[in-house]
Amino acid sequence: MNEDGSLPIYKHIHSDIHGAMGNPGNIQAPLHRARALFIRLLLAVLLTSSPGAWAGNIEGTLGAVGSDTMAGLMLRWGEALVTRHPDVRLQFQASGSASAPPALLAGTTRLGPMSRRMTAEEHQAFEKRYGYPLLELKVALDALVVAVHRHNPLRQLNLAQLDAIFSSTRACGEQAPLRRWQAFPATLDWPYGKIALHGRNLASGTYGLFRQRVLCGGEFRRDISEYPGSSAVIAAVGESPGAMGYAAYNHLTPMVHPLGIAEQDSQAVLPTEEAIQSGRYPLSRFLYLYVNLPPNETLPAAERAFIELILSDEGQRIARAAGFVPLSAPTLKAQELSGD
Amino acid sequence: MTPSPDTLNQRLRLARDRLATGLITAGGIGVLLAVLAIAVFLLWETLPLLRLGDTLALAKLTPLAWGTLKAAFYALLFAVPLALGAAMYSALFMSTRLRHRLKPTLEMMEAIPGVVVGFIAGLIIAPWVERHLAGTLLLVIGLPLSALLVGVAWHHLGTRLQRTLPLSWAGLWLVPWFVLMIVLIFWVTPQLEQYLPEGDLRRFLDKQWGIDYATRNAMIVGVAMGFAVIPSIYALAEDALADVPKSLLEGAQALGATRWQALWKVALPTAGPGLFSAVMIGAGRAVGETMIVLMASGNTALFSASPFEGMRSISAAIAIELPEAAPDSLTYHLLILAALALFVFTFLVNTLAEAVRQRLRRRYRRLEGHP
Repeated sequence: MNEDGSLPIYKHIHSDIHGAMGNPGNIQAPLHRARALFIRLLLAVLLTSSPGAWAGNIEGTLGAVGSDTMAGLMLRWGEALVTRHPDVRLQFQASGSASAPPALLAGTTRLGPMSRRMTAEEHQAFEKRYGYPLLELKVALDALVVAVHRHNPLRQLNLAQLDAIFSSTRACGEQAPLRRWQAFPATLDWPYGKIALHGRNLASGTYGLFRQRVLCGGEFRRDISEYPGSSAVIAAVGESPGAMGYAAYNHLTPMVHPLGIAEQDSQAVLPTEEAIQSGRYPLSRFLYLYVNLPPNETLPAAERAFIELILSDEGQRIARAAGFVPLSAPTLKAQELSGD
Repeated sequence: MTPSPDTLNQRLRLARDRLATGLITAGGIGVLLAVLAIAVFLLWETLPLLRLGDTLALAKLTPLAWGTLKAAFYALLFAVPLALGAAMYSALFMSTRLRHRLKPTLEMMEAIPGVVVGFIAGLIIAPWVERHLAGTLLLVIGLPLSALLVGVAWHHLGTRLQRTLPLSWAGLWLVPWFVLMIVLIFWVTPQLEQYLPEGDLRRFLDKQWGIDYATRNAMIVGVAMGFAVIPSIYALAEDALADVPKSLLEGAQALGATRWQALWKVALPTAGPGLFSAVMIGAGRAVGETMIVLMASGNTALFSASPFEGMRSISAAIAIELPEAAPDSLTYHLLILAALALFVFTFLVNTLAEAVRQRLRRRYRRLEGHP
């Protein structure tokens, strides 16, 4: 972030010309910087010849069909857009990532949020019908952490072990379930007894991602305590030494420490923001937004403003607040060029 | 001819009466319609389940139904003896001055929101009990025993001491005794625990019987939810006992019955239906209670009767899953079906309790000599 510190300022002006209202993110900037920004913004507004380009009167319906994992995130982005442009109406349908490609294909929506990458077949089906490919945007990252009590000596696990701990089906191929702390050399003496498991509820995206990535699509054990939020999982793990839980990345506290995760024989990777953004941490994934954008046309104003918001600093801050991981600066920059 | 002021006044009063009656009737019908609308909505929303036709649906709901009943059972196990005992004592033995203070206090207990009780139980008491398991279990056994001990000792006290520690004020002078016992138990347990071969009760339970102790479990939920339903059970049972016609009790005592005999042979049989309906109302509350179970039970959909393992109740499942369930999905309709089951159950329990109470009221009026 530091080496391209000028980028956010540039981006603020850029987005402020298009969206008439000031960016709340400026509050955090030092006062003189904010004032300089204000003057430059004023100049930019005065010098712009065509008022339509920056006037805030964007209206219309913003529709999207797709991922239920991203339902909350899309809604938060949508609400941020509505506070800027009160005339925009939102019409989001979150019935699972699999519902996005058919809706894009049928032309019922221009935006398809998906928590996985589109398959080659889905891409081809669209290109065959319309003659041009879908625009693929990475909008945020989703990552899971597996946490234990802060005094727990366990430092790392591999994916197969996690499956043996959390699943009843062991679909990844492990032989026996791991139920007790004594199964690991690091925790031979302490903590004693069974591993108390904590996790998220059925309808959450975190539950779905863990099931897909760690359990190889198998079933969770029944004695996992389920909580309506990742913070609650972390709080529960933080208070009992024999506990282990999975949660979304952004809710870690000093009460717990996250485990390094290893794929089969490779080195364990700790969930740092850098490791997640680079893809080295195994339990992370990109979240995508697919856009139906014909080659020589521009998007309707509402959709355009929405995408600009998502890829702005504010949009990425919203993603962080919603429990996701923001994109790295290079990823954002690369997409800004392709998106405009 | 002008009407006299008297008839005008009368007419005015009549009109006001009619208006009030109309408003009350309209309100009553409105409430009934709302209840009916809820039932119709729930039924309507469960219909798509037939179309989705998933045979797994009911299999997924049974652990929830089990969890709901288990939570209610442990709550009543804790609340019923305490609430009924308190009601008997305060209606028949307690000094009136103390009783007038106690009733409002207990009613205030009812005003504590479920979230607060659940928060304290799930985030403060549950981890604490996990660390002091042996002491807590000993407390559960020890406190009632110590109360019995006091009862026996009191009988052998001299009349002078009995007069300074009267039975009608026992609710007050027992408090320091209980505090003393609690301190004693928690001081003594660590010493006792050392004699276990494993040096720790949790390890002992695990090694000897393979009993697993979950931090959030039925015992915690039972105590927390019991705490929440005690006021309503107590209030209804106390009313039923205090309303037993005085003539009956005085008659029994005049014939030579002791206060204890009057309680067992006269008051309890007469007020029995009232006590029953009090317990039913408590059960209805325990089944519908959401936040306490949500925060203190761990929400594990297990089929186990163990007080040391968690459960998942219907209401908690609805509260957790419904905000995130995609509309018109299988999960959504399943949750609505669960809500319907909950609605029917609480409706039946409450109706039964109310019907029993009405019968009791009629019986009291007969006993007091009204036709």
